[in-house]
Amino acid sequence: MKTIPPPCPEPESGPKYWRSLDQMADTPEFRQWVEREFPAGASEWTDPVSRRHFVQIMSASFLLAGLGLAGCRRPEEKVMPFGKQPENYIHGLPEYYATAMPTRSGAVPLLVKSSDGRPTKIEGNSAHPANQFLDSEGKPRKHSGTDHFAQASILSLYDPDRAHRFTKGGNEINRQLALDSLEDLSKKFTPTAGEGLAFLLQRNSSPSRARLQALISQKFAKARWYVHEPIELNLPQQAASLAFGKPVTPSYRLERAKVIVSLDCDFIGTEENTAQFARDFAAGRKISKSTDSMSRLYAIEALMTLTGANADHRLRLPGSAVVQAAALLAEKLLGAEGAALVAAAKNAGPLSEKQGAWISKCAEDLLKNKGASVVLAGHRQPLSVHLLAHAINSALGSVGTTVTFQDASPDKLASLADLVKALNGGTVDTLVIVGANPAYDAPADLAWVDAQHKARTVFRLGYEQDETAALCDYQYPAAHYLESWGDARTFDGTLVPVQPLIEPLFGGLTELEFLARVAGLEQNRAYDIVRETFKGLAGGDFEEGWKKFLHDGFLANSAAKQPALAPINFSVVAEAISVSAVAVPTRDSLEIVFQRDHSLDDGRWNNNGWLQELPDPITKVTWENVILLSPKTLADLGLAAQDHISGKSVVPRARLEVGGRAIEGPVWIQPGLADNTAVLALGYGRKRTGRIGHGSGYDAYALRTSAAPFVASGAKLTATGETHDVSTTQNHWLMEGRPIIREANLSEYQKRPDFAKALNLEVPVFPVSSEPTQKAGAEEPKPLYPNPLDEAKKTALHHWGMVIDLNACVGCAACMIACQSENNIPIVGKRMVGKSRELHWIRIDRYFTGGVDEPQMINQPMLCQHCEAAPCESVCPVNATTHDQEGLNVMIYNRCVGTRYCSNNCPYKVRRFNYFDYNRRPLDQLYRSPILMSTEGEWELKRWFKNRDRGSRPEDEWELLKLVKNPDVSVRMRGVMEKCSFCLQRIEQGKIAQKIKATNSGEMGNVEVPDGAIQTACQQACPAEAITFGNVKDPHSSVSKLKAQDRNYSVLEFLLTKPRLTYLARVRNPNPEMPDYQQMPLSLKEFSEKNGNPFESHGEGHGESEPHVEKGAR
Amino acid sequence: MFPKWTNRLPLMIVIGFLLVGTAVTAGVWYYCTPKYANVGYQPIQPVAFPHSVHVDQVGIDCRYCHSAVEKSWYSNVPASTTCMNCHNQVLKDDPRLALVRESAQNGKAIPWVQIHKLPDYVYFNHSVHVNRGISCVHCHGNIDKMVEVQQAKPLSMTFCLDCHRNPAPNLRPLDKITQLDWNPHQHLPQGWFTNAMASWRVESLQNCSTCHR
Repeated sequence: MKTIPPPCPEPESGPKYWRSLDQMADTPEFRQWVEREFPAGASEWTDPVSRRHFVQIMSASFLLAGLGLAGCRRPEEKVMPFGKQPENYIHGLPEYYATAMPTRSGAVPLLVKSSDGRPTKIEGNSAHPANQFLDSEGKPRKHSGTDHFAQASILSLYDPDRAHRFTKGGNEINRQLALDSLEDLSKKFTPTAGEGLAFLLQRNSSPSRARLQALISQKFAKARWYVHEPIELNLPQQAASLAFGKPVTPSYRLERAKVIVSLDCDFIGTEENTAQFARDFAAGRKISKSTDSMSRLYAIEALMTLTGANADHRLRLPGSAVVQAAALLAEKLLGAEGAALVAAAKNAGPLSEKQGAWISKCAEDLLKNKGASVVLAGHRQPLSVHLLAHAINSALGSVGTTVTFQDASPDKLASLADLVKALNGGTVDTLVIVGANPAYDAPADLAWVDAQHKARTVFRLGYEQDETAALCDYQYPAAHYLESWGDARTFDGTLVPVQPLIEPLFGGLTELEFLARVAGLEQNRAYDIVRETFKGLAGGDFEEGWKKFLHDGFLANSAAKQPALAPINFSVVAEAISVSAVAVPTRDSLEIVFQRDHSLDDGRWNNNGWLQELPDPITKVTWENVILLSPKTLADLGLAAQDHISGKSVVPRARLEVGGRAIEGPVWIQPGLADNTAVLALGYGRKRTGRIGHGSGYDAYALRTSAAPFVASGAKLTATGETHDVSTTQNHWLMEGRPIIREANLSEYQKRPDFAKALNLEVPVFPVSSEPTQKAGAEEPKPLYPNPLDEAKKTALHHWGMVIDLNACVGCAACMIACQSENNIPIVGKRMVGKSRELHWIRIDRYFTGGVDEPQMINQPMLCQHCEAAPCESVCPVNATTHDQEGLNVMIYNRCVGTRYCSNNCPYKVRRFNYFDYNRRPLDQLYRSPILMSTEGEWELKRWFKNRDRGSRPEDEWELLKLVKNPDVSVRMRGVMEKCSFCLQRIEQGKIAQKIKATNSGEMGNVEVPDGAIQTACQQACPAEAITFGNVKDPHSSVSKLKAQDRNYSVLEFLLTKPRLTYLARVRNPNPEMPDYQQMPLSLKEFSEKNGNPFESHGEGHGESEPHVEKGAR
Repeated sequence: MFPKWTNRLPLMIVIGFLLVGTAVTAGVWYYCTPKYANVGYQPIQPVAFPHSVHVDQVGIDCRYCHSAVEKSWYSNVPASTTCMNCHNQVLKDDPRLALVRESAQNGKAIPWVQIHKLPDYVYFNHSVHVNRGISCVHCHGNIDKMVEVQQAKPLSMTFCLDCHRNPAPNLRPLDKITQLDWNPHQHLPQGWFTNAMASWRVESLQNCSTCHR
């Protein structure tokens, strides 16, 4: 009998969730686009190769295959054991080393996996004191989350395009010669005490560098020091030091806060130390039962950011008007003593009445939660806003509870503008640049390139062959932090080592070594310098202490002291506040906001393929930056809306002009953005970068001046008439009109703890049966066939399952990069993403609900659901995807013939297909035939015979790219389907480890893996601890406990797929007194409008005021 | 005109094809399987290392040299320094050991030829087998008696599955794992095997995920 698929129980009119503006518009084209199984282009043969051509090539290959029959003989392979056995080394067992990734003002403590001598995976160091915390039940817990930059940094280590040559005037010189030049330099400046010598550094927290700097200053007393960070993240420290009259830096304890107000502070996405912010914020949002309380977040911002997306109330203001909001907050919260300060801040001008009401109610909420509230100011805001935030926190009694202040070292470095002045004044003879890339990212008004030419000689240590390298006389390759000896202080001030896991791949120098050589110090090995510093900082037995330091990855009890602070000096603060009247941006005078890019930071990750392909969490655009405009602004300016042709979006290009400078870029509509604001992400449009970053996006630095580093006004936007293809993952795999993400307000949740299940849709009754066995209105709908797993799983020791807490997930995408690193997932390039062929096993789905002006944004990590009754399995003609006993839906790559039926039949659209051999082909040569092409006079085919592994990759690329692969996971070929495996390799390793442990302990039967022993890569990297994995057979495991919670639900449950991955519904905590209070989340409202109020049909007798619609009406 | 026998031509062709087809199928079936192609593979090694002398005559345990077998998926070929632990006393100046001495001196590897090889997509783990009562002999044969090592078992997927479908008869006490000539069925009652299956909680793992990732 032919099986008729069940109809989807949803109305046919209009979508409930929308993911792009076209969908909102519901155009016929979009309808057609949605109806297609694969986006256009994803499954068609669009190559310029004709059938005849194809047959020609094929016959040639058969001929050659015949000639190659000699290959049938078994090739002789060698086993190469050690001549001398290294101590404690066992081939096949990974080793872990504690180290740290230095950032601008701190470091991320890490534990890095080394597989046979090459670093392959990065995890957070859970032993570090900053990663120890008490959970909601007061139990001590450890945490290994990191941000996505730390996860992706390993790929940069193996970047074939990183600087690897010592050059003089652009020509390669040998290493020794280059080092000799440094020695000459030190000799030259010794007699003059460094007269005319200038250093340009980047910010970092290394005590060794600070010590070296002091040493060098002694020797070269007249040398001058400058610092350049295109995105300055130490404003909170500057403001706090000013307000409290001593050098201190604030640290926020969001987990203790009941009310959080963000003044344009995207602490989840783009501030410093986001991983810890995300964890602390999530800790305050996690609830286990309906009587629990949670924190409330107010966000005031111009951009749509992750913080705004996670906020309970969001106020959309132009970037320049945030100071008005801060002033009004200060007015409501500071008493008489703050009068002068408020008066100074009020120069900014008043907000509109509606906005004022919003702020007033927000201020009331802050006051109600005195001592448990906190206000944060973001790096895009000027010092005045930061000062106001500190003053407000102080007035709210938050100092010592939700904000603590720790000792900081005072800033001794002059700015880039000072350096340019000195250069133009002709007082700099030799400039030594360490790391920074001012030729690309200096403010446009400084005219850096001209200034740099005024120095007689420029030495530069840099990680990339970048714009600055091109201008320097001497360029030295820098070592990656995984190749370096160094040290740093984490954000809490704890001293951490940076220790190498591998020798510098290209003989690069560390910053410490470079500086020591410039100064001609005798001690010029980084290892010795770091040890010397450690000797000065740690007491006790030095050698033992050093060993422990390297083993643990931190020095215990070395966190910064929290000094007793005098109350904030309001008069000093009032004096420091300088605010001028805010001009409201208009259509003809747009405001520009420069954004630290979520993927590329300030451009330092530009040549990192994982980060380039990581979709922006809000726009979902990959591989480039776009000019973001609000829908209203776009309409006002008369630009055409974006258009979808196949998987890519075709958008208009526009020219943006401000202060006589202009850039051109694609325009993107961003709902929720402040009107008349254009948002430009920094870090793209590099002129000199590697093969990955080349040609991605436009250079927003061209518009940036030192006077207006983050918010510039008076810009004009005109359409150029051209269009631009933008590759995005936004519109793919649409799941319209179903309760995919479920959410409710806290008050509703308290009334209806099982609200998530009330949103279940009715299971469609199969219209197939006329047999008498089918009872009408049977209680429990049953699938057609018995599931073999039901029988098989009875004997399994473990039933693997996962829970994702949507209340904790902030959408930061660290999981995506961690998964990519763990599972050898290649990047596919912009063109392929445009055809929806990206390979991420886990993606973050983002939905907007409500209107385009004030939408609510929600995130959901989506990965293989490991359905017990998996629809993919029943359609595979070759059994390449099957279930194992323990409930995993496994993919057997060798069986897969690439029919892609499974992907068609997957309701969650989480299966990924290798359309090309992405591992063996450079991204720009995917369509090149390996047979008919020649490179450098050699036929590709011949090359292929010489080295079949490498494919058409250049030798240098291939040798490096091989090193980053996880040896425990198959590298997939072209024509193979792949998807999330719940980190099968980790599960198997965990089970084996437990069996060995059982044998060694003498209890052979103790083979059940204890709870928490196996962590998936996404779980381990998640800074918010939103993902929990474990054995659902054990009712006491943490995953089982979470699944027992009332918020637990599965996506598309009406399909009876019985996913092993379930979600905990999201709970919002809005304030009923706010003017923008919504009685229910907008997504729930839309659900109710279409499906009827889910809470009424169950007859619980509340929500009478809401319109009653029959459930399931369609 | 065609002669009369040509009337039988179509039939002959069909029968001919059938015969040839059967022969080819049978040939591939037999000659292209690991059972034929790999069993007995015995390449010449750079050093004529006799397992029979070291294990059978001298009585060295397998794990003295293959020391990682209980810890790692990979059972290591020993470093040259391991050989020299004894051979700096025994057969000190034997010319057959010249390569070993040289390698231990300068740290360069001896290029042994690999015999037992599984495809890259198979993730075989030595440690879990030897820790759960499976002896070396099951996959490597009586290597203790071999003067020159050769592949004794096909190591094909069906070879693995034969045991994975019914592990019980292949179990043995953990202290007998490396005693290759010890036959558990001669020394142990039949009940021991079923007992071990139950008390060790040995599973019959036939999931794809057991070996392929």
